[in-house]
Amino acid sequence: MELIRPVKTGFRVSQKAIARLLLFPSILLFSVFTFWPFLYTIYLSFFDWNMVSPKKKFVGFENYVHVLTDPNFLKIAVNTFLYIAILLVINFVVPYIFAFVIGIVLKKWTSFYKGSLFLPAFISLVVGSILFTWILNPVSGPVALIFGWLGWEMPVWNKAQGWVILVLSLITSWKVFGYNFVLLYASVNGISKEVIEAARLDNIPLWRIFFRIVLPMSSATGIYVLIMTIVQGLQYVFTPVKVITQGGPDYASSNLIYHSYHEAFVLFETGHSAALSVITMMIFILLLVLEFKFVERRVYYEN
Amino acid sequence: MKKLLPFILLTVFAFVLAACGSGEAVEKTEDGKIKIEYWHVNAETQGGQTVKKLVEEFNKQSDSVEVVPKYNPDMYKGLMQNLQAEMAAGKAPAVVQVGWSFLNYFSENFEYVSPQEVIEKHFPEDKNFLEKNFLPNILDLARNEEGELVGIPYSLSNPVLYINRDLLREAGLDENGPETWEDVREFAKVIKEKTGKYGFYFQEPADNWATQALLESNGAQFINDGKASFASEEGIEAYQLWADMVLEDESALHIGWDQGVQSFIDGNVAMVYTTIAQRSHIQNNAKFDVAAVKSPVWEGKEVKLPAGGAMLAITAQSEEEQKAAWEFLKFLYSVESIAEWTKGTGYVPPREGVADAEDGLKSFLDENEMMKPAIEQMDVMVPWASFPGEAGLQAEQLLIDVRDQILGGEVSVEEGLKRTQDQINELLE
Amino acid sequence: MKTNRMVSVIWHFIIFTTVVILIFPVVFSIGVSFKPLADAYNNVLNFIPFPLTMENYAKLFHTLPVVKIVFNTFIVASVVTTFKLITSFLAAYAFVYFDFKGKRILYFVLISTIFIPFTVTMIPNYLIVSELGLIDSVWGVILPQLADAMGIFLIHQSMRGIPFSLIEAARLDHISHGRVMKDIVLPLVRPSVTSAGIWFFITTWNEFVWPVLILKTVDNYTLPLALQMFISSEGGTDFTVAMAVSVITMIIPLALYLMFQRYIIGTFTSSGIK
Repeated sequence: MELIRPVKTGFRVSQKAIARLLLFPSILLFSVFTFWPFLYTIYLSFFDWNMVSPKKKFVGFENYVHVLTDPNFLKIAVNTFLYIAILLVINFVVPYIFAFVIGIVLKKWTSFYKGSLFLPAFISLVVGSILFTWILNPVSGPVALIFGWLGWEMPVWNKAQGWVILVLSLITSWKVFGYNFVLLYASVNGISKEVIEAARLDNIPLWRIFFRIVLPMSSATGIYVLIMTIVQGLQYVFTPVKVITQGGPDYASSNLIYHSYHEAFVLFETGHSAALSVITMMIFILLLVLEFKFVERRVYYEN
Repeated sequence: MKKLLPFILLTVFAFVLAACGSGEAVEKTEDGKIKIEYWHVNAETQGGQTVKKLVEEFNKQSDSVEVVPKYNPDMYKGLMQNLQAEMAAGKAPAVVQVGWSFLNYFSENFEYVSPQEVIEKHFPEDKNFLEKNFLPNILDLARNEEGELVGIPYSLSNPVLYINRDLLREAGLDENGPETWEDVREFAKVIKEKTGKYGFYFQEPADNWATQALLESNGAQFINDGKASFASEEGIEAYQLWADMVLEDESALHIGWDQGVQSFIDGNVAMVYTTIAQRSHIQNNAKFDVAAVKSPVWEGKEVKLPAGGAMLAITAQSEEEQKAAWEFLKFLYSVESIAEWTKGTGYVPPREGVADAEDGLKSFLDENEMMKPAIEQMDVMVPWASFPGEAGLQAEQLLIDVRDQILGGEVSVEEGLKRTQDQINELLE
Repeated sequence: MKTNRMVSVIWHFIIFTTVVILIFPVVFSIGVSFKPLADAYNNVLNFIPFPLTMENYAKLFHTLPVVKIVFNTFIVASVVTTFKLITSFLAAYAFVYFDFKGKRILYFVLISTIFIPFTVTMIPNYLIVSELGLIDSVWGVILPQLADAMGIFLIHQSMRGIPFSLIEAARLDHISHGRVMKDIVLPLVRPSVTSAGIWFFITTWNEFVWPVLILKTVDNYTLPLALQMFISSEGGTDFTVAMAVSVITMIIPLALYLMFQRYIIGTFTSSGIK
């Protein structure tokens, strides 16, 4: 990446000082409200403590051993990636295609689609969770009744392995889908029309236009939505998990974030929770490094 | 950017103002009353209005104490979470509701003062208040492992069987409902066959309260001498009945709590075993002939029902606040307040002399037939099994986990319960 | 062009179905908020109730100081959004247009914070807020949320799309950084600033885990907390009133969005996010 070479100006303040000044508010806020708590968490991960009791026992790496040898850890880690995989498809791949289709392929109804796809984004996931508990009640909810007419039986999804992750992901997507779509739409829409029209006149098939032109030229936003979707895969699913299943049945719907909440605020095992959070962070920092190394290179910026 | 400057200044100013306005040890109102906080879990559907009313009445008649109620979402667990943060910050409300399953955890980890201690120190005239007004088995609910009185029983609930009489009649069954657990299974089977609807739902919240009732009524013991002992022959037998209904007969639902109750209210499940605290919710919304009957028995055995609900504990730190806390508690435990409390929440009254008193609940109980079984069951109430020690909450969690494994058909009842019992006992050591 | 028509029809069908699925719960929740609770249980398929009842709203306004609560929520959401945008914009500008030691590391570290689970920061932040005496105050809710890594990331991505030559030229003309930001960069990254703003606003507006911890008295509540007052696992959830709260919660950001829609859509279509 090219950077601006220092410009000789009449100002006496150095460029570095300005940069520091601009970064100061963010760094200050992050230091106090994010970095300090995080360091504190690393510190706590070496203790057996519950936040309130006067006894705080140093246990070395015992919490880490406990977390990693917990028979449920693997299940929860796998769940986490399952959530991410499902959410990547529903909240990244599908909205990308929709953005392309609505922005470029279709001519009619596009503003209706844009408006209505975005609508659920205004509703909180707490409400969404309660709402879907009703709508998707497998015995007597409206969907179950309609299924009943068609002679289908609805699975008791909140007690069934596999189903539970899928349905909770769908509930999360219900809220997030529209926002991701609007972002991607704006980006796709910003691509010069002439390039695409030219390609269409040359009778290049749509899928090739998508992969060869649209995807690369909107990749700066794409990468943002991609990362945001992964983060949402963890943080946003938390709400439906907490409201609907509390991680059950038997951890089938838990993920790393929910489990660290569960350890800290249901079992009051601060040490376990801290160790789990640190491990989670490490996994995701690794992913981020990979992203910076491999994906970032291919991203298209206009410079 | 310039437009934002005043905005930023305003914010900074507000912070400074807010930061200056606090920091005193004991907070007082403008007219010199002591301000104390009362933490409760009563949502609007569960007595929220009653809390508001009682606190308002108290504040009006007291010239030294002003109570500020704080609602904590997500029941007793939610309250514990908030209390943990508050105590970590070195503060505490004056009075808190502590759910029975947190009794041991609370008494081992949080700072509190026994109500009797406050009474004896500051209010010698009330020395016999607790002894005089509470049944000994009820007062015992609030004692920890060491036998110390941690708080005073306040919200009391026990499980009852709600029945949809219309569905029972339609299936040709006794409309007064089943009396034994064996009958429950038969009833559910017949209902499933005759009406195609589910026969039964056994509540599945994130605790083992109702499970304890089922197992202990069959002669099992959840905890014996500080160790888990639910995987006895009787325990397995009782659990087996539930599992068989779900897996073999497919006459019982295995589903989340709110969806289970919802399906009962809209007429898709004929019987539901759940807390009396759901009474007004069910009574107000069911459009069929609904009734509540006493908890079923096991043929020839004695029913034992764990008490649900909460006690009130005093967590006030200074003596001044502790005195204020008792003043408030004494008001809450008067016959009139308890009657009000029972009407508003659907809990059974914890103290004596309320159910039959004219200024108490007499007329209310005459109007609300569904409340009666819960009151009649009060003499068989036992403490909610709360595992001792640091791993107590984890032990509780293991039992919840195994419930999903058993009802999901992943493990047999015997194997699941035995394994869990061993795991818990290992943890508790 | 025959195939094209077929393709359009299929896509219209797919997208329309998606729209119906996404909108149905919204319609359902609005319908339920105008039903008595017993009806919500017993007439599940009656999505648009008739006759409709206002009793849920009446109950809500009777129990809670709704106007005050809406006001609190608005303060929290707008202050947080404004600050997040300012801090993110400034930081992104520094990262894109300045060169300094450790820049890549610092950027990486800041961005990694999006992966820190909120469970990690909750209690320590509570201690800070408590120390400052801001418990039970909307400012306590606001304070820890004034910066946001996602905001820095999004605006950073968008700024990288601006040709450097433009900025360089301006700087050579001795135009101050303040004016470069305001007159050149901001207009060009407005779409991403807008969309980050919308997201911050909606998210903060609906947030509940953190406010539950901080706020105590009803007069200081925000809307998601008001919702919690009608939810109880043990006593049963007052679903219809809860949905009335939800409708009120939804309607304000929605109204704001519609009011500014022309402006928002305008920023998107004129330049697009790069």
